[in-house]
Amino acid sequence: MVAGGLTYFSKARKDKTQEELAAEAARMALFENDINLGKDDIDGTIVSYFSDHFENQLLFGSIIQDYLGFNPKPSVRIEGGGATGGLAIRDGYAHVASGLLDVAMVIGFEKMSEVNTAKGNEFIALASDTDWDFPIGGFYSGYYALMAKRHMEEFGTTEEQMAMVAVKNRNNAQHNRFAQTNPKMNPFAMKDAGPITVDDVLKSPYVATPLKRLDICLMSDGAAVAILASEEVAKKITDTPIWIEGTGAGTDFMRAGDRPRTVGGVPLLPHEKKEWYKKLEYPGVHSFRAGRESARQAYKQANITNPLKQLDVIELHDAYTSSEIQTYEDLGLTQYGKGGKLVEEGVTAIDGDLPVNPSGGLIGAMHAVGATGVMQAVEMFWQLQGVAGKFHGSDKTQVKGAERGLIHSHAGTGTYVTATIMAR
Amino acid sequence: MTEIFSIDPLIIKTPYEIEYKHSYGKTTPFFTSLSKGKFMTTRCERCKVTFLPPRADCPYCLGETKWVEISGKGKIHTFSTLHYSGEKFLKDLPFQLVYVELEGVDTVFLTRLKTKHPEKVKVGMKIKLKVSRDLEWRSSDVWAEPDE
Repeated sequence: MVAGGLTYFSKARKDKTQEELAAEAARMALFENDINLGKDDIDGTIVSYFSDHFENQLLFGSIIQDYLGFNPKPSVRIEGGGATGGLAIRDGYAHVASGLLDVAMVIGFEKMSEVNTAKGNEFIALASDTDWDFPIGGFYSGYYALMAKRHMEEFGTTEEQMAMVAVKNRNNAQHNRFAQTNPKMNPFAMKDAGPITVDDVLKSPYVATPLKRLDICLMSDGAAVAILASEEVAKKITDTPIWIEGTGAGTDFMRAGDRPRTVGGVPLLPHEKKEWYKKLEYPGVHSFRAGRESARQAYKQANITNPLKQLDVIELHDAYTSSEIQTYEDLGLTQYGKGGKLVEEGVTAIDGDLPVNPSGGLIGAMHAVGATGVMQAVEMFWQLQGVAGKFHGSDKTQVKGAERGLIHSHAGTGTYVTATIMAR
Repeated sequence: MTEIFSIDPLIIKTPYEIEYKHSYGKTTPFFTSLSKGKFMTTRCERCKVTFLPPRADCPYCLGETKWVEISGKGKIHTFSTLHYSGEKFLKDLPFQLVYVELEGVDTVFLTRLKTKHPEKVKVGMKIKLKVSRDLEWRSSDVWAEPDE
Protein backbone atom coordinates (compact mmCIF):
# COMPACT_ATOMS: atom_id res chain seq x y z
CA MET A 1 0.00 0.00 0.00
CA VAL A 2 1.38 3.37 -0.99
CA ALA A 3 -1.32 5.93 -0.13
CA GLY A 4 -4.60 6.48 1.69
CA GLY A 5 -7.30 9.12 1.97
CA LEU A 6 -10.48 9.67 4.00
CA THR A 7 -13.36 12.10 4.10
CA TYR A 8 -14.80 13.62 7.20
CA PHE A 9 -17.43 11.14 8.36
CA SER A 10 -20.89 12.27 9.30
CA LYS A 11 -24.40 11.10 10.06
CA ALA A 12 -25.39 13.07 6.94
CA ARG A 13 -23.04 14.68 4.42
CA LYS A 14 -25.80 16.65 2.71
CA ASP A 15 -23.20 18.96 1.22
CA LYS A 16 -21.88 16.35 -1.25
CA THR A 17 -23.07 13.47 -3.42
CA GLN A 18 -21.58 10.02 -3.07
CA GLU A 19 -19.22 10.53 -6.02
CA GLU A 20 -18.15 13.90 -4.64
CA LEU A 21 -17.29 12.19 -1.34
CA ALA A 22 -15.24 9.59 -3.24
CA ALA A 23 -13.39 12.43 -4.98
CA GLU A 24 -12.63 14.05 -1.60
CA ALA A 25 -10.97 10.84 -0.36
CA ALA A 26 -9.22 10.14 -3.69
CA ARG A 27 -7.73 13.64 -3.72
CA MET A 28 -6.28 13.11 -0.26
CA ALA A 29 -4.85 9.72 -1.26
CA LEU A 30 -3.18 11.11 -4.38
CA PHE A 31 -2.03 14.51 -3.18
CA GLU A 32 -1.53 14.42 0.61
CA ASN A 33 0.59 11.28 0.95
CA ASP A 34 4.32 11.36 0.40
CA ILE A 35 4.37 9.59 -2.99
CA ASN A 36 5.64 10.23 -6.47
CA LEU A 37 2.47 9.11 -8.23
CA GLY A 38 0.01 10.90 -10.49
CA LYS A 39 -3.63 10.22 -11.19
CA ASP A 40 -2.74 8.81 -14.63
CA ASP A 41 -0.53 6.17 -12.98
CA ILE A 42 -3.62 4.39 -11.60
CA ASP A 43 -4.17 1.32 -13.80
CA GLY A 44 -7.65 0.44 -12.57
CA THR A 45 -10.06 0.62 -9.65
CA ILE A 46 -11.85 -1.64 -7.21
CA VAL A 47 -15.08 -0.01 -6.11
CA SER A 48 -16.39 -0.95 -2.67
CA TYR A 49 -19.97 -0.25 -1.62
CA PHE A 50 -22.59 -2.31 0.14
CA SER A 51 -26.11 -1.35 -0.81
CA ASP A 52 -27.87 -0.33 -3.99
CA HIS A 53 -30.90 0.55 -1.84
CA PHE A 54 -29.54 3.57 0.01
CA GLU A 55 -29.30 5.61 -3.20
CA ASN A 56 -31.66 3.53 -5.35
CA GLN A 57 -28.95 3.45 -8.01
CA LEU A 58 -27.56 0.32 -9.59
CA LEU A 59 -24.10 0.29 -11.20
CA PHE A 60 -22.88 3.12 -9.00
CA GLY A 61 -19.36 1.90 -9.67
CA SER A 62 -19.60 3.30 -13.17
CA ILE A 63 -20.58 6.72 -11.85
CA ILE A 64 -17.53 6.65 -9.57
CA GLN A 65 -15.25 5.52 -12.37
CA ASP A 66 -16.26 8.32 -14.74
CA TYR A 67 -16.58 10.98 -12.03
CA LEU A 68 -12.99 10.34 -10.96
CA GLY A 69 -11.90 10.25 -14.61
CA PHE A 70 -10.59 6.68 -14.87
CA ASN A 71 -12.38 5.63 -18.08
CA PRO A 72 -11.60 3.50 -20.09
CA LYS A 73 -9.46 1.65 -17.52
CA PRO A 74 -10.77 -1.51 -15.80
CA SER A 75 -12.97 -1.38 -12.73
CA VAL A 76 -14.87 -3.93 -10.64
CA ARG A 77 -17.41 -3.61 -7.86
CA ILE A 78 -16.96 -5.66 -4.69
CA GLU A 79 -19.86 -6.29 -2.28
CA GLY A 80 -19.94 -8.44 0.82
CA GLY A 81 -22.12 -6.78 3.45
CA GLY A 82 -20.16 -5.26 6.32
CA ALA A 83 -16.99 -6.92 5.02
CA THR A 84 -17.25 -5.15 1.66
CA GLY A 85 -14.23 -2.94 2.37
CA GLY A 86 -12.04 -5.77 3.64
CA LEU A 87 -12.95 -7.88 0.63
CA ALA A 88 -12.17 -4.93 -1.68
CA ILE A 89 -8.71 -4.50 -0.14
CA ARG A 90 -8.14 -8.24 -0.64
CA ASP A 91 -9.34 -7.93 -4.23
CA GLY A 92 -7.02 -4.97 -4.82
CA TYR A 93 -4.19 -7.07 -3.43
CA ALA A 94 -5.16 -9.97 -5.73
CA HIS A 95 -5.30 -7.69 -8.77
CA VAL A 96 -1.81 -6.36 -8.04
CA ALA A 97 -0.26 -9.66 -6.94
CA SER A 98 -1.55 -11.38 -10.09
CA GLY A 99 -0.09 -8.67 -12.30
CA LEU A 100 -3.48 -7.60 -13.70
CA LEU A 101 -2.87 -4.10 -12.35
CA ASP A 102 0.42 -2.48 -11.35
CA VAL A 103 -1.31 0.28 -9.42
CA ALA A 104 -4.85 -0.20 -8.09
CA MET A 105 -7.10 2.32 -6.38
CA VAL A 106 -9.61 0.85 -3.93
CA ILE A 107 -12.52 3.25 -3.51
CA GLY A 108 -14.92 2.62 -0.62
CA PHE A 109 -18.01 4.71 0.08
CA GLU A 110 -21.56 4.69 1.39
CA LYS A 111 -24.18 7.36 1.83
CA MET A 112 -26.69 6.00 4.29
CA SER A 113 -28.45 9.22 5.26
CA GLU A 114 -30.88 9.61 2.38
CA VAL A 115 -33.39 7.31 4.06
CA ASN A 116 -34.52 7.66 7.69
CA THR A 117 -32.60 5.72 10.35
CA ALA A 118 -35.28 3.05 10.86
CA LYS A 119 -35.46 2.45 7.10
CA GLY A 120 -31.65 2.34 7.03
CA ASN A 121 -31.73 -0.35 9.70
CA GLU A 122 -34.30 -2.21 7.64
CA PHE A 123 -32.04 -2.07 4.56
CA ILE A 124 -29.17 -3.43 6.63
CA ALA A 125 -31.46 -6.19 7.92
CA LEU A 126 -32.20 -7.16 4.32
CA ALA A 127 -28.67 -8.56 4.57
CA SER A 128 -30.17 -11.27 6.76
CA ASP A 129 -32.27 -14.15 5.43
CA THR A 130 -35.49 -12.48 4.26
CA ASP A 131 -37.50 -15.74 4.25
CA TRP A 132 -36.76 -16.74 7.81
CA ASP A 133 -34.90 -14.18 9.94
CA PHE A 134 -36.03 -10.80 8.66
CA PRO A 135 -39.81 -11.33 9.16
CA ILE A 136 -39.26 -12.19 12.85
CA GLY A 137 -38.20 -8.64 13.59
CA GLY A 138 -35.31 -8.04 11.24
CA PHE A 139 -32.84 -5.78 13.00
CA TYR A 140 -29.14 -6.41 13.27
CA SER A 141 -28.87 -5.09 16.81
CA GLY A 142 -31.41 -7.76 17.79
CA TYR A 143 -29.32 -10.52 16.20
CA TYR A 144 -26.14 -9.28 17.89
CA ALA A 145 -27.97 -8.93 21.19
CA LEU A 146 -28.90 -12.63 21.02
CA MET A 147 -25.26 -13.52 20.33
CA ALA A 148 -24.01 -11.21 23.09
CA LYS A 149 -26.45 -12.72 25.59
CA ARG A 150 -25.25 -16.21 24.70
CA HIS A 151 -21.61 -15.06 25.08
CA MET A 152 -22.47 -13.74 28.54
CA GLU A 153 -24.23 -17.00 29.43
CA GLU A 154 -21.41 -19.16 28.09
CA PHE A 155 -18.42 -17.20 29.42
CA GLY A 156 -19.60 -14.70 32.04
CA THR A 157 -18.92 -11.62 29.89
CA THR A 158 -20.47 -8.52 31.50
CA GLU A 159 -22.23 -5.37 30.33
CA GLU A 160 -19.50 -3.37 32.12
CA GLN A 161 -16.81 -5.01 30.00
CA MET A 162 -18.82 -4.20 26.89
CA ALA A 163 -19.17 -0.60 28.08
CA MET A 164 -15.37 -0.40 28.41
CA VAL A 165 -15.04 -1.15 24.70
CA ALA A 166 -17.43 1.71 23.88
CA VAL A 167 -15.51 4.12 26.10
CA LYS A 168 -12.15 3.12 24.62
CA ASN A 169 -13.28 3.51 21.01
CA ARG A 170 -15.39 6.60 21.47
CA ASN A 171 -12.63 8.35 23.43
CA ASN A 172 -9.94 7.36 20.91
CA ALA A 173 -12.15 9.03 18.29
CA GLN A 174 -11.88 12.33 20.15
CA HIS A 175 -8.34 12.66 18.73
CA ASN A 176 -9.24 11.71 15.15
CA ARG A 177 -10.50 14.65 13.12
CA PHE A 178 -12.34 12.37 10.66
CA ALA A 179 -14.48 10.80 13.40
CA GLN A 180 -18.23 11.32 13.45
CA THR A 181 -18.35 11.53 17.27
CA ASN A 182 -15.65 14.23 17.44
CA PRO A 183 -17.40 17.62 17.30
CA LYS A 184 -14.23 19.47 18.36
CA MET A 185 -12.27 18.50 15.24
CA ASN A 186 -14.79 17.34 12.63
CA PRO A 187 -17.04 20.08 11.21
CA PHE A 188 -19.57 17.41 10.15
CA ALA A 189 -19.65 15.55 13.51
CA MET A 190 -22.67 14.86 15.70
CA LYS A 191 -22.90 18.03 17.76
CA ASP A 192 -24.00 16.21 20.93
CA ALA A 193 -21.21 13.60 20.80
CA GLY A 194 -17.81 13.79 22.54
CA PRO A 195 -16.07 11.71 25.21
CA ILE A 196 -18.04 9.22 27.33
CA THR A 197 -17.70 7.20 30.54
CA VAL A 198 -18.63 3.63 31.46
CA ASP A 199 -21.51 5.09 33.43
CA ASP A 200 -22.78 6.94 30.33
CA VAL A 201 -22.84 3.67 28.40
CA LEU A 202 -24.57 1.74 31.18
CA LYS A 203 -27.19 4.46 31.53
CA SER A 204 -27.85 4.82 27.81
CA PRO A 205 -31.20 3.29 26.77
CA TYR A 206 -31.47 -0.37 25.82
CA VAL A 207 -31.87 -0.94 22.10
CA ALA A 208 -31.92 -4.75 22.34
CA THR A 209 -30.98 -6.20 25.72
CA PRO A 210 -28.11 -6.44 26.66
CA LEU A 211 -27.04 -3.88 24.02
CA LYS A 212 -27.53 -0.20 24.74
CA ARG A 213 -27.38 2.77 22.42
CA LEU A 214 -23.70 3.46 23.17
CA ASP A 215 -22.76 -0.20 22.58
CA ILE A 216 -23.75 0.13 18.94
CA CYS A 217 -21.85 1.48 15.96
CA LEU A 218 -22.60 4.58 13.94
CA MET A 219 -24.36 4.88 10.59
CA SER A 220 -22.38 7.18 8.33
CA ASP A 221 -21.84 9.00 5.08
CA GLY A 222 -18.30 9.09 3.77
CA ALA A 223 -15.55 7.57 1.66
CA ALA A 224 -12.11 6.02 1.98
CA VAL A 225 -9.48 5.38 -0.68
CA ALA A 226 -6.43 3.12 -0.62
CA ILE A 227 -3.80 2.87 -3.35
CA LEU A 228 -2.01 -0.44 -3.78
CA ALA A 229 1.02 -0.98 -6.00
CA SER A 230 3.28 -3.81 -7.09
CA GLU A 231 6.52 -4.22 -5.16
CA GLU A 232 8.51 -2.84 -8.08
CA VAL A 233 6.36 0.29 -8.46
CA ALA A 234 6.01 0.83 -4.71
CA LYS A 235 9.79 0.96 -4.22
CA LYS A 236 10.07 3.59 -6.94
CA ILE A 237 7.33 5.95 -5.76
CA THR A 238 7.73 5.98 -1.98
CA ASP A 239 10.39 5.48 0.70
CA THR A 240 7.81 4.16 3.14
CA PRO A 241 5.59 1.55 1.47
CA ILE A 242 3.50 -0.62 3.79
CA TRP A 243 3.50 -4.30 2.83
CA ILE A 244 0.57 -6.68 2.85
CA GLU A 245 2.08 -9.77 4.45
CA GLY A 246 -0.99 -11.95 4.50
CA THR A 247 -4.71 -11.90 3.93
CA GLY A 248 -7.40 -14.39 4.89
CA ALA A 249 -11.14 -14.69 4.40
CA GLY A 250 -13.71 -16.89 6.08
CA THR A 251 -17.43 -17.52 5.82
CA ASP A 252 -20.27 -19.01 7.81
CA PHE A 253 -23.96 -19.85 7.52
CA MET A 254 -26.12 -16.83 6.63
CA ARG A 255 -28.50 -17.69 9.49
CA ALA A 256 -26.44 -17.81 12.68
CA GLY A 257 -28.85 -20.42 14.07
CA ASP A 258 -27.79 -22.89 11.37
CA ARG A 259 -24.17 -22.95 12.54
CA PRO A 260 -22.93 -26.15 14.12
CA ARG A 261 -22.37 -26.54 17.83
CA THR A 262 -19.53 -29.02 17.70
CA VAL A 263 -18.03 -29.94 21.05
CA GLY A 264 -14.31 -29.17 20.96
CA GLY A 265 -14.68 -27.91 17.40
CA VAL A 266 -12.47 -24.83 17.59
CA PRO A 267 -9.96 -24.62 14.70
CA LEU A 268 -6.76 -23.99 16.66
CA LEU A 269 -4.23 -21.24 16.03
CA PRO A 270 -0.53 -22.13 16.40
CA HIS A 271 -0.28 -20.90 20.01
CA GLU A 272 -3.47 -22.58 21.23
CA LYS A 273 -3.95 -25.90 23.03
CA LYS A 274 -6.74 -28.38 22.28
CA GLU A 275 -7.52 -28.88 25.98
CA TRP A 276 -8.56 -25.23 26.33
CA TYR A 277 -11.71 -25.91 24.35
CA LYS A 278 -12.48 -29.57 25.05
CA LYS A 279 -16.00 -28.79 26.26
CA LEU A 280 -16.80 -25.72 24.18
CA GLU A 281 -19.62 -26.01 21.64
CA TYR A 282 -18.31 -24.21 18.57
CA PRO A 283 -19.05 -21.89 16.92
CA GLY A 284 -22.69 -21.78 18.03
CA VAL A 285 -24.04 -18.24 18.07
CA HIS A 286 -21.43 -16.91 20.51
CA SER A 287 -18.34 -17.02 18.28
CA PHE A 288 -17.43 -16.16 14.71
CA ARG A 289 -15.91 -19.14 12.93
CA ALA A 290 -15.41 -17.00 9.81
CA GLY A 291 -13.27 -14.58 11.83
CA ARG A 292 -11.19 -17.43 13.19
CA GLU A 293 -10.72 -18.87 9.69
CA SER A 294 -9.69 -15.50 8.22
CA ALA A 295 -7.12 -15.01 10.99
CA ARG A 296 -5.78 -18.56 10.62
CA GLN A 297 -5.04 -17.98 6.93
CA ALA A 298 -3.57 -14.51 7.39
CA TYR A 299 -1.35 -15.61 10.30
CA LYS A 300 -0.06 -18.56 8.29
CA GLN A 301 0.92 -16.33 5.37
CA ALA A 302 2.55 -13.73 7.63
CA ASN A 303 4.28 -16.30 9.89
CA ILE A 304 2.42 -15.14 12.97
CA THR A 305 2.45 -17.72 15.73
CA ASN A 306 1.57 -15.45 18.64
CA PRO A 307 -0.68 -12.59 17.52
CA LEU A 308 -0.75 -10.77 20.87
CA LYS A 309 3.05 -10.48 20.80
CA GLN A 310 3.65 -10.09 17.07
CA LEU A 311 0.98 -7.51 16.27
CA ASP A 312 1.42 -3.89 17.38
CA VAL A 313 -1.98 -2.45 16.46
CA ILE A 314 -5.39 -3.64 15.24
CA GLU A 315 -8.32 -1.96 13.52
CA LEU A 316 -11.27 -4.32 13.83
CA HIS A 317 -14.97 -4.29 12.97
CA ASP A 318 -16.58 -3.14 16.25
CA ALA A 319 -20.16 -3.07 14.97
CA TYR A 320 -21.06 -3.77 18.60
CA THR A 321 -19.01 -3.66 21.78
CA SER A 322 -19.89 -7.33 22.22
CA SER A 323 -18.56 -8.21 18.77
CA GLU A 324 -15.24 -6.48 19.49
CA ILE A 325 -14.91 -8.77 22.53
CA GLN A 326 -15.95 -11.80 20.46
CA THR A 327 -13.42 -10.82 17.80
CA TYR A 328 -10.51 -10.65 20.29
CA GLU A 329 -11.15 -14.36 20.80
CA ASP A 330 -11.59 -15.24 17.12
CA LEU A 331 -8.27 -13.51 16.37
CA GLY A 332 -6.61 -15.46 19.17
CA LEU A 333 -5.57 -12.39 21.17
CA THR A 334 -6.85 -14.30 24.17
CA GLN A 335 -8.65 -17.60 24.80
CA TYR A 336 -12.31 -18.04 23.86
CA GLY A 337 -14.26 -16.73 26.81
CA LYS A 338 -11.65 -14.28 28.03
CA GLY A 339 -12.27 -11.42 25.61
CA GLY A 340 -14.02 -9.32 28.25
CA LYS A 341 -11.00 -9.61 30.53
CA LEU A 342 -8.71 -8.34 27.77
CA VAL A 343 -10.44 -4.97 27.60
CA GLU A 344 -10.84 -4.88 31.38
CA GLU A 345 -7.08 -5.28 31.79
CA GLY A 346 -6.44 -2.41 29.37
CA VAL A 347 -4.50 -4.56 26.90
CA THR A 348 -6.39 -3.06 23.95
CA ALA A 349 -6.34 0.55 25.18
CA ILE A 350 -4.41 3.14 23.18
CA ASP A 351 -1.54 2.85 25.71
CA GLY A 352 -1.95 -0.93 26.17
CA ASP A 353 0.16 -3.80 24.83
CA LEU A 354 -1.99 -4.15 21.71
CA PRO A 355 -4.09 -1.08 20.95
CA VAL A 356 -7.35 -1.92 19.17
CA ASN A 357 -9.21 0.70 17.14
CA PRO A 358 -7.05 3.77 17.81
CA SER A 359 -9.14 5.49 15.09
CA GLY A 360 -12.27 5.04 17.17
CA GLY A 361 -13.51 2.22 14.97
CA LEU A 362 -17.13 1.84 13.94
CA ILE A 363 -18.36 3.00 17.35
CA GLY A 364 -16.29 6.17 17.53
CA ALA A 365 -15.26 7.10 14.00
CA MET A 366 -17.63 5.83 11.31
CA HIS A 367 -19.52 3.01 9.68
CA ALA A 368 -20.22 4.01 6.10
CA VAL A 369 -20.39 0.33 5.20
CA GLY A 370 -18.49 0.13 1.89
CA ALA A 371 -15.89 2.61 3.15
CA THR A 372 -15.31 0.93 6.51
CA GLY A 373 -12.84 -1.81 5.62
CA VAL A 374 -10.98 0.59 3.35
CA MET A 375 -10.86 3.15 6.18
CA GLN A 376 -9.21 0.47 8.33
CA ALA A 377 -6.54 -0.06 5.68
CA VAL A 378 -5.93 3.70 5.46
CA GLU A 379 -5.73 3.99 9.25
CA MET A 380 -3.33 1.05 9.47
CA PHE A 381 -1.22 2.50 6.64
CA TRP A 382 -0.83 5.82 8.48
CA GLN A 383 -0.17 4.05 11.80
CA LEU A 384 2.63 1.95 10.29
CA GLN A 385 4.11 4.93 8.46
CA GLY A 386 4.05 6.78 11.79
CA VAL A 387 1.98 9.65 10.35
CA ALA A 388 -1.38 8.99 12.05
CA GLY A 389 -0.92 12.11 14.14
CA LYS A 390 -0.41 14.30 11.11
CA PHE A 391 -3.58 13.05 9.42
CA HIS A 392 -5.69 12.87 12.58
CA GLY A 393 -4.66 16.32 13.77
CA SER A 394 -3.50 14.91 17.13
CA ASP A 395 -0.51 12.78 18.14
CA LYS A 396 -2.55 10.92 20.75
CA THR A 397 -3.79 8.30 18.29
CA GLN A 398 -0.35 7.27 17.01
CA VAL A 399 0.75 3.88 18.33
CA LYS A 400 4.43 4.51 18.88
CA GLY A 401 6.83 2.31 16.97
CA ALA A 402 4.05 0.22 15.37
CA GLU A 403 5.61 -2.12 12.82
CA ARG A 404 2.93 -4.70 12.12
CA GLY A 405 -0.85 -4.56 12.35
CA LEU A 406 -4.04 -6.38 11.48
CA ILE A 407 -7.23 -5.10 9.88
CA HIS A 408 -10.44 -7.08 10.28
CA SER A 409 -13.64 -6.64 8.28
CA HIS A 410 -16.88 -8.43 9.15
CA ALA A 411 -20.29 -8.95 7.51
CA GLY A 412 -23.71 -10.12 8.59
CA THR A 413 -23.82 -12.12 11.77
CA GLY A 414 -20.28 -13.24 10.92
CA THR A 415 -21.07 -14.52 7.44
CA TYR A 416 -18.05 -13.04 5.62
CA VAL A 417 -14.93 -11.99 7.53
CA THR A 418 -11.52 -10.89 6.30
CA ALA A 419 -8.24 -10.37 8.15
CA THR A 420 -5.22 -8.73 6.55
CA ILE A 421 -1.75 -8.24 7.99
CA MET A 422 0.12 -5.07 7.08
CA ALA A 423 3.72 -4.27 8.01
CA ARG A 424 6.35 -1.59 7.68
CA MET B 1 -45.39 16.72 -7.77
CA THR B 2 -41.86 16.48 -6.41
CA GLU B 3 -41.56 17.35 -2.76
CA ILE B 4 -38.58 19.59 -1.98
CA PHE B 5 -36.77 19.01 1.30
CA SER B 6 -34.04 21.65 0.97
CA ILE B 7 -33.03 24.34 -1.51
CA ASP B 8 -29.25 24.50 -0.93
CA PRO B 9 -28.05 21.89 -1.40
CA LEU B 10 -31.12 20.93 -3.41
CA ILE B 11 -32.68 17.84 -1.80
CA ILE B 12 -35.83 16.24 -3.24
CA LYS B 13 -38.01 13.41 -1.88
CA THR B 14 -38.46 10.29 -4.05
CA PRO B 15 -40.86 7.51 -2.96
CA TYR B 16 -40.28 3.94 -4.21
CA GLU B 17 -42.60 0.95 -3.96
CA ILE B 18 -42.42 -2.56 -5.38
CA GLU B 19 -44.23 -5.90 -5.21
CA TYR B 20 -42.41 -9.25 -5.47
CA LYS B 21 -43.93 -12.62 -6.30
CA HIS B 22 -41.70 -14.67 -4.05
CA SER B 23 -41.51 -18.48 -4.23
CA TYR B 24 -40.70 -20.59 -1.18
CA GLY B 25 -39.74 -23.34 -3.61
CA LYS B 26 -39.22 -26.74 -2.00
CA THR B 27 -39.61 -25.38 1.54
CA THR B 28 -43.33 -24.84 0.78
CA PRO B 29 -44.46 -27.85 2.90
CA PHE B 30 -43.29 -26.08 6.07
CA PHE B 31 -45.89 -23.40 5.50
CA THR B 32 -48.69 -25.61 4.18
CA SER B 33 -48.32 -28.03 7.10
CA LEU B 34 -48.81 -25.18 9.57
CA SER B 35 -52.41 -24.92 8.40
CA LYS B 36 -52.85 -28.59 9.47
CA GLY B 37 -51.37 -27.81 12.89
CA LYS B 38 -48.11 -29.65 12.17
CA PHE B 39 -44.47 -28.58 12.31
CA MET B 40 -42.62 -30.15 9.41
CA THR B 41 -38.96 -29.70 8.60
CA THR B 42 -36.18 -31.50 6.75
CA ARG B 43 -33.54 -34.02 7.72
CA CYS B 44 -30.46 -35.36 5.96
CA GLU B 45 -30.38 -39.09 6.74
CA ARG B 46 -26.83 -39.42 5.48
CA CYS B 47 -25.41 -36.65 7.71
CA LYS B 48 -27.91 -37.22 10.56
CA VAL B 49 -28.74 -33.53 10.73
CA THR B 50 -32.23 -32.02 11.08
CA PHE B 51 -32.55 -28.45 9.91
CA LEU B 52 -35.03 -25.77 10.93
CA PRO B 53 -35.56 -23.66 8.84
CA PRO B 54 -35.89 -26.51 6.36
CA ARG B 55 -33.48 -26.94 3.45
CA ALA B 56 -34.29 -29.09 0.44
CA ASP B 57 -30.59 -29.78 -0.02
CA CYS B 58 -28.10 -30.71 2.72
CA PRO B 59 -25.22 -28.20 2.96
CA TYR B 60 -22.89 -30.89 4.32
CA CYS B 61 -23.23 -33.55 1.55
CA LEU B 62 -25.41 -31.79 -1.07
CA GLY B 63 -27.77 -34.76 -0.96
CA GLU B 64 -31.53 -34.24 -0.88
CA THR B 65 -33.23 -34.05 2.51
CA LYS B 66 -36.49 -35.69 3.67
CA TRP B 67 -39.45 -34.12 5.46
CA VAL B 68 -39.95 -35.07 9.12
CA GLU B 69 -42.44 -33.94 11.74
CA ILE B 70 -41.15 -32.25 14.91
CA SER B 71 -42.93 -31.60 18.19
CA GLY B 72 -42.22 -27.87 18.37
CA LYS B 73 -41.18 -28.23 22.01
CA GLY B 74 -37.85 -27.06 23.28
CA LYS B 75 -35.96 -24.51 25.35
CA ILE B 76 -34.49 -21.04 25.05
CA HIS B 77 -30.89 -20.89 23.82
CA THR B 78 -30.60 -17.08 24.13
CA PHE B 79 -32.98 -14.12 24.19
CA SER B 80 -33.22 -10.34 23.80
CA THR B 81 -35.88 -7.71 24.39
CA LEU B 82 -36.00 -5.21 21.54
CA HIS B 83 -36.79 -1.56 22.22
CA TYR B 84 -35.92 -0.42 18.70
CA SER B 85 -36.01 -2.09 15.27
CA GLY B 86 -36.12 -1.55 11.54
CA GLU B 87 -38.99 0.54 10.21
CA LYS B 88 -41.24 -2.41 9.47
CA PHE B 89 -41.40 -3.60 13.08
CA LEU B 90 -41.45 -0.31 15.01
CA LYS B 91 -45.19 -0.83 15.60
CA ASP B 92 -44.52 -4.11 17.46
CA LEU B 93 -42.07 -2.70 20.03
CA PRO B 94 -41.12 -3.83 22.57
CA PHE B 95 -40.89 -7.53 21.65
CA GLN B 96 -38.65 -10.47 22.53
CA LEU B 97 -36.45 -12.41 20.13
CA VAL B 98 -35.21 -15.88 21.03
CA TYR B 99 -33.12 -18.61 19.54
CA VAL B 100 -34.71 -21.89 20.59
CA GLU B 101 -33.30 -25.41 20.78
CA LEU B 102 -36.09 -27.74 19.62
CA GLU B 103 -36.55 -31.47 20.22
CA GLY B 104 -35.15 -33.41 17.28
CA VAL B 105 -33.63 -30.33 15.62
CA ASP B 106 -29.89 -29.72 15.35
CA THR B 107 -29.95 -26.03 14.46
CA VAL B 108 -31.27 -23.27 16.73
CA PHE B 109 -34.35 -21.45 15.44
CA LEU B 110 -34.94 -17.71 15.50
CA THR B 111 -38.43 -16.71 16.52
CA ARG B 112 -40.34 -14.32 18.76
CA LEU B 113 -41.28 -15.18 22.32
CA LYS B 114 -44.73 -14.15 23.45
CA THR B 115 -45.14 -14.13 27.20
CA LYS B 116 -47.06 -12.22 29.84
CA HIS B 117 -43.98 -12.33 32.08
CA PRO B 118 -40.98 -11.13 30.04
CA GLU B 119 -39.03 -10.54 33.26
CA LYS B 120 -39.08 -14.29 34.00
CA VAL B 121 -37.44 -15.29 30.74
CA LYS B 122 -34.08 -17.03 31.01
CA VAL B 123 -31.75 -19.27 29.06
CA GLY B 124 -32.90 -22.89 29.33
CA MET B 125 -36.58 -22.02 29.90
CA LYS B 126 -39.01 -24.51 28.32
CA ILE B 127 -41.03 -23.26 25.36
CA LYS B 128 -43.35 -24.61 22.68
CA LEU B 129 -43.98 -23.26 19.20
CA LYS B 130 -47.38 -21.78 18.40
CA VAL B 131 -49.00 -21.08 15.04
CA SER B 132 -51.04 -18.05 14.04
CA ARG B 133 -54.73 -18.63 13.23
CA ASP B 134 -54.49 -16.11 10.43
CA LEU B 135 -51.60 -17.35 8.33
CA GLU B 136 -49.61 -14.68 6.53
CA TRP B 137 -47.35 -17.35 4.98
CA ARG B 138 -44.26 -15.89 6.62
CA SER B 139 -41.88 -17.27 9.23
CA SER B 140 -43.56 -14.90 11.68
CA ASP B 141 -46.66 -17.16 11.55
CA VAL B 142 -44.80 -19.20 14.17
CA TRP B 143 -43.66 -18.02 17.58
CA ALA B 144 -42.65 -19.46 20.95
CA GLU B 145 -44.58 -19.37 24.23
CA PRO B 146 -43.54 -20.59 27.67
CA ASP B 147 -44.38 -24.32 28.06
CA GLU B 148 -45.67 -24.53 31.60
